[in-house]
Amino acid sequence: MYDLVIVGGGPGGVAAGVYAARKKIKTLIIAETFGGQSLVSADIKNWIGTKSISGFELAKALEEHLRAQEDIEIIDGVLVNKVVKEGSAFKVVTSDGKEFQTKNVLISSGSRRRKLDIPGETKFDGRGVAYCSTCDAPIFKNKRVAVVGGGNAGLEAVLDLIPYATEIYLIQRSDILKGDSTTQEKIKSDPKVKIITMAKPLEIEGDKFVENLKYEDRNTGEIKEIRLEGVFVEVGSIPNADMVKDLVELNKYGEIVVDHKTQRTSCEGIWAAGDVSDVIYKQNNISAGDAVKAVLDIYGNLNKN
Amino acid sequence: MVKIYSTPYCVYCKMAKEFFKKNNVAYEEVDVITDDKFLDEMVEKSHQMGVPVIDIDGEIFVGFNRPDIEKALKIS
Repeated sequence: MYDLVIVGGGPGGVAAGVYAARKKIKTLIIAETFGGQSLVSADIKNWIGTKSISGFELAKALEEHLRAQEDIEIIDGVLVNKVVKEGSAFKVVTSDGKEFQTKNVLISSGSRRRKLDIPGETKFDGRGVAYCSTCDAPIFKNKRVAVVGGGNAGLEAVLDLIPYATEIYLIQRSDILKGDSTTQEKIKSDPKVKIITMAKPLEIEGDKFVENLKYEDRNTGEIKEIRLEGVFVEVGSIPNADMVKDLVELNKYGEIVVDHKTQRTSCEGIWAAGDVSDVIYKQNNISAGDAVKAVLDIYGNLNKN
Repeated sequence: MVKIYSTPYCVYCKMAKEFFKKNNVAYEEVDVITDDKFLDEMVEKSHQMGVPVIDIDGEIFVGFNRPDIEKALKIS
């Protein structure tokens, strides 16, 4: 029986792991991969204490920091499918069918990409529809592309594409872009980039590969088309809370509702931190801090009992 | 023979290459942006345009799914 099972290997899970190990809490951490969603970032400039680091290097640094701890067990390469309540303890079930008993659970499983959910998206996945701009931008050399989503991820995808694509259409549903103003300025000054706001994507069309994006002009209701070869989707994320959805309160976005002083959920013995929780700001630094808060609360709780 | 089609900043390509190195798997790397013929070859093999594409003795894998690659290379 563990005192704590931590679910997730992003900045939250790793921060929790380091603190739990140093507090000598009997801990198991289960991570599919390390680094969290920033893994695919070309350059992270706001990880405090580091001027500039790629997602890949951050992931390696996090994993190394965790593995440098003596008092922690680590399982990677598997997902947690389910957390089951057993009396006052829990059973954690992984994707390879293994089960682990624990007194407490910290869910720091982050979130995954939201899809556009329009006709043609699945059919052309990998055939022009792309989800990793740092990976696939070079493949669209001399091609026309759209980036759907005007948040930070969308703006960064545009930056990744500027050296390669000939025309880049940034498609945003609302009337303004939401990402950082410094990035907005950069892309607005580039003649390749055309920003289309108040646009709702309707369908991705083509034969073997993407040829066309249909969207509705939300100002006029008119259906418009862009001839292009690529569509990069950056429309936000969905929290990975399925494994505890029957145990804890979720909000309307599917995020785990926590007490923001302690990171406790509605179920005694389960804590949550980072993007999977209802924290307003989804940030690496905040996930790490919130997860530390959770571990300190868990530690206090273990010593009280 | 193991061949990986990659792009310079593709993190899953890097993960795959680190995995090969760690497991002493000899591989050939092709950066598809250096020449269109490599990109065409990759698209022809995988029928899609995302990287990485990993060719293990003719068996084609899109992306880096460690368990699948371990199985194909018989690494446990």
